[in-house]
Amino acid sequence: MIIVSEDEDDSDSSPLFFLGQPVRDSVLNVNHDYRYLRMGYYVSAHAETFGVEVTPDCTEIMDAYRNPLLIEKARRNGLPTNGYRLVTRPNENLTIPAMLFAVNPFTNNSMKVVKSGSRLPGIIKKMSFDARFPVSLHPVTGEVKEIIQMFGESTSDETSDFARKFYEIFNIPICKLIVQIDDGKVILNHCEPAMEKEVKWDIVHDKLHEIRQKI
Amino acid sequence: MKLACFVEAYNFKDKSERKALSKFKSTAESMGHTFDFIFKEDISRVAEYNALFIRATTDPSNSAYVASRLAEQSGLKVIDDPHSIRTCSNKAILHDLFLKNNIPSPKSLLFTGDFSSVSLDNIFETLGTPVVIKTPYTRFSSHVEKADGIQEFISISKKLLRKSKVLVVQEYVMSDFDWRVGILRNEIIYLCKYCIPDGGWKVKSKINGKNVWGDTIAVPRESISPELKEICINLSKCVGDGLYGLDVKETSGGYRVIEINDNPSIYEGYEDAIDRDIYEKIINALVS
Repeated sequence: MIIVSEDEDDSDSSPLFFLGQPVRDSVLNVNHDYRYLRMGYYVSAHAETFGVEVTPDCTEIMDAYRNPLLIEKARRNGLPTNGYRLVTRPNENLTIPAMLFAVNPFTNNSMKVVKSGSRLPGIIKKMSFDARFPVSLHPVTGEVKEIIQMFGESTSDETSDFARKFYEIFNIPICKLIVQIDDGKVILNHCEPAMEKEVKWDIVHDKLHEIRQKI
Repeated sequence: MKLACFVEAYNFKDKSERKALSKFKSTAESMGHTFDFIFKEDISRVAEYNALFIRATTDPSNSAYVASRLAEQSGLKVIDDPHSIRTCSNKAILHDLFLKNNIPSPKSLLFTGDFSSVSLDNIFETLGTPVVIKTPYTRFSSHVEKADGIQEFISISKKLLRKSKVLVVQEYVMSDFDWRVGILRNEIIYLCKYCIPDGGWKVKSKINGKNVWGDTIAVPRESISPELKEICINLSKCVGDGLYGLDVKETSGGYRVIEINDNPSIYEGYEDAIDRDIYEKIINALVS
């Protein structure tokens, strides 16, 4: 297995070097950002095109980063969610408080929590680029939290079991998860790239060390 | 069966595209199926259908990808399927695919912004002059530019790299037209010439400040040369068994594949002008 990462200490290849080479061995692609058209995505796409096994693969990346796909996959695999609704325009059936995520090609870190009904139409209009793209709307029933998931480990103790299950289902080595804690239950709302400074790299190093020993 | 066709409002603006969509609907209905146009607000209802046909522009960043993947997860037959969208929508991935499968194509390199003289010299020594520079997400000849030398290359690529981490740089192959080969389930279903307009160098060229499209000339699919047919079928098999439009240049040295597209244009009076059974073939693929 080849480990591809920006971190020279942990990797067998940098993403840039990797993209210029044919691939013959399975690949572990370690990155904090797998967004489409970013280097993290290209590493997985390059490996896939050469027919080798890669973690994460492009289907897994897209399933995690596109909100409706994330929620649908979580639901099918028994990970708690509150469901979602796709809207492009406000309508009277929308309930607040609500959490909104953009489903468009441009926006990252797009979460908005709306508690006032009067603010909802303006925010939907803006996030949907005036009804050009859908917005995924989730009900808010608990405390909203952001956690960083690294190979199934979480930055917060109360979500450690949840992070492990998330990693088992989605196979994304590093990401930020937006969740709600509702009466002790962890509910998944969103997944997006983690910022480099948010990641506990010592956890990542330890996990990669464990993986290397198993190879 | 219940068929859904995922569209966006812009699909109904052009009269020829509107007529083609209408033909898909009437063909499906004449074969005993229902055919509903669905829009992005309806994506989460896609599992209510038996098959999904996508006519809105596909890209992994667009709503069409979400519709496609939700349909696939729900076990629907999908054209265009998520794998085909991810592969064909990205020219950097096609570059790898062509290389891995020895597809005859213009020489090309990936460029990530190394402006050292060694790197720039290598590009022009390998590809010759001029070179074509593309962003991975180019569609309908947009974000495709030609550079006649190193200075122009630097200026164009710096501009394009602001929007993309990777560019594809390709040998320029001159031609009067591109073959457009329509393929479904690894069989040719239509054949056209997409002509380059006078004074331009690509199918949609900017001439005197205006975007000009070249003519589309439909050709009977049976007339395709065996060599072109073999190249196209081999390539489509590398992607999947969906609906594809391949762009191929014919040169004195043989055929050169430029790209394989999912979600190829089908406009009434253009792609369907000779082989008029393409609607029936596509509906059959959706219900089989």
